[in-house]
Amino acid sequence: MFWKVFIPVVAFAVILGWGLPLAVAADLTKANASFEVNKMGDMSDFDPNKPVIPTGDTIKIALVASFSGPAALVGQIYYISVLWAAHDINKRGGILVDGKKKLVEVIKADHMGKPDQCKKICERMVLQDKVHVLWGTDGSHLMKIINETANKYKVIAHNTASLTDDLQDATNFSRYAFMSSFSTDQIGRGLANYYGQRKKEKKFYILCQDYMFGHAMAAGFKKGLKEFYPEAEIVGEDYHKLFLTDFAPYLTKIKAAGAEVVYTGDWIPDAANLLKQSRQMGITLPFAHIFLDEPNFLHEVGVDGTKGLVQLSQMYTDNPYFKTPEQIKYYKMWNDLWKTKWQAPFNTKLFEHGGGNIGSYNQQTYWLLSVIERAASTDPEKIIKVWEGDTYRFVNGKTLKMRPCDHKAIQDLYVAEFVVPDEQKVDFNIPPHHWFTGCSYAGPSAKIPADKVLPLMDEKLDRCKGKNGWGE
Amino acid sequence: MDPKTAMYIAQGIHGLAYGMILFLVASGLNIIFGMMGILNLAHAAFFMLSAYFCFQFVSLTGSFWAALLLAPVATAFFGILVERFLLRQVRGLGHMAELILTVGVSLVILAAVKIFWGTESLPVKIPPLLTGLVSIAGMDYPVYRLFVIGMALTVLAIMSLLLYKTRLGKIVRAAVSDAGMVSALGINIPLVFMLVFGIGIWLAGIAGVAVAPILTVFPGLSDQVGMDAFVVVVTGGLGSLSGAFIVAIIFGLLSSYGVQFFSQLAPVLMFLFMAIVLAIKPTGLFGERE
Repeated sequence: MFWKVFIPVVAFAVILGWGLPLAVAADLTKANASFEVNKMGDMSDFDPNKPVIPTGDTIKIALVASFSGPAALVGQIYYISVLWAAHDINKRGGILVDGKKKLVEVIKADHMGKPDQCKKICERMVLQDKVHVLWGTDGSHLMKIINETANKYKVIAHNTASLTDDLQDATNFSRYAFMSSFSTDQIGRGLANYYGQRKKEKKFYILCQDYMFGHAMAAGFKKGLKEFYPEAEIVGEDYHKLFLTDFAPYLTKIKAAGAEVVYTGDWIPDAANLLKQSRQMGITLPFAHIFLDEPNFLHEVGVDGTKGLVQLSQMYTDNPYFKTPEQIKYYKMWNDLWKTKWQAPFNTKLFEHGGGNIGSYNQQTYWLLSVIERAASTDPEKIIKVWEGDTYRFVNGKTLKMRPCDHKAIQDLYVAEFVVPDEQKVDFNIPPHHWFTGCSYAGPSAKIPADKVLPLMDEKLDRCKGKNGWGE
Repeated sequence: MDPKTAMYIAQGIHGLAYGMILFLVASGLNIIFGMMGILNLAHAAFFMLSAYFCFQFVSLTGSFWAALLLAPVATAFFGILVERFLLRQVRGLGHMAELILTVGVSLVILAAVKIFWGTESLPVKIPPLLTGLVSIAGMDYPVYRLFVIGMALTVLAIMSLLLYKTRLGKIVRAAVSDAGMVSALGINIPLVFMLVFGIGIWLAGIAGVAVAPILTVFPGLSDQVGMDAFVVVVTGGLGSLSGAFIVAIIFGLLSSYGVQFFSQLAPVLMFLFMAIVLAIKPTGLFGERE
């Protein structure tokens, strides 16, 4: 009798133990659609300074971002990223939607980094320009406005760059808003997981921007340390105003606190000034970050000043970066144009490789366009139906899943340490075997599996009640 | 010296350094606003323009010192053009006309720097002579920030001598008080005002060069310091160079010690101080004009 009971129980436990992880892993091993390099159009004439903008009956994407003011550079990064994808689709002849082949039109919508302007420009885009998608943006507080506008007028809002989890919580959720980027909770917990595995540094100082995003970044990291590295110590925590002029007082506090790592979500120009001023002050602490990667200011700081930075990025993968001929082909497609064709401002180091954040925004845009193609319509209801629960594989081989109940992206994350040029070949495995010669950059990477950093789910959101972290 | 005391001293020096940066930016605005009565909202844009000129001259000559000499002059030249051909046309039409015009000039400068230099951050490295650190109270401190402090003090001295110890300064101050009378004495008032405006913009130029190695040179640079400089001018008192200097130092110290002790309040302390001062003395601490 004992064995009759014991054997089935053991069998059940084994099946559950082995089968469940496999079932979970299967979610990101298959993709409903993939970015396929060999299906790309002829990109040889792509020039972001001379964009070919179709008009008329087009699929209209409003690129809502800063194109003036302190964060204008960010808007420029978005622009080339989105424009590339649109140009590719247009060179293929467009997308069949609502019974017609339509080209993709990218419309700049400058919110100037201001909430009132953001609302104004979004409404103009929807009501006057009749855009189908509001693509955004630099600033979670602004993305909230974009999402609200999308919800009000029933158009799709595509969040590729605003990372605050609150954007998709019970209070702010909109059926029309999709967040294909990683989120603050994932980032914080991902980096905490990395340090918990590494166990090399123990004292952390949190320095973030004093707004929605910065506070969310900090919260995610603190939560992650408790989860993955409970013996770690947060020796200080500060929040500075956006576009800060002088970081010196904060840096002095950080140094005095005895921190071993500074965790920050700062983005341009704060990211540049923070790094630059810290090195000028002789502070060589590594930053755990996501946006301290703009090549121009990295080069200004130099190889030694950028060595040891630790970045979590949506576009990092297992080493090496290039694993297939198609990936090399895609990289060279971009890089060759940069070397031979593009003029200022797109001929700087920032745009040399088309990876990093540019690559992320680019691939997320391809995902959007793939969804529209498979929906065969610009009707937001049809797009929603396709996108909820969708899985898509980026050019780097990584698969993302759009969690159906709250429209957040589930994905493996990777963390890379910046190393000197000669050591970058561990990642950049094709000639010249380094990303940059004037600064340290991505080297050894570490994987944070998706199940370790599932996006924060607000259980108060009715759609998510009773669901697991995968939204199932 | 114990580490905590060293930290407090370092914060004090940080405050001085930032205060000096504010003074450098605000002094020119103060002179123009206080002496000519022009609310030059393009001042911060000229400051930014000078930072770009600094980058360009360093790129061309390889010398920060050449840029320190040339960039402010180039900026002042453009400022004089603005005064001669634009501002002078609207003098007598009231402050609103001047305000709108200078806003327009600001936008033009912003657009121009994007056209010529783009939106990316441009590097201006600290010159070799000023790189490195010195030990103060046991804590390393950047030589360059000490240089900024010294430069601001030098500017203060030069401007004080110019305004209060030279014939030109007397003419300028007299022209501000009673332009008609001075004109009756045969002084070319438009030329005087053009010169004052040029000096004010030159000061913005000096500030732009000073901060270029510390801050990212990018199109939003003017936004980062413009408001703070304006607050310094208003709080210190229109036309008072010493007022601008003292208030800038106070604001710098409020900023650094605010970060140290009241981190969350640090960004608003200067505005709080301004509100208190203006509530008690609407003309500013050392001002004579409203």
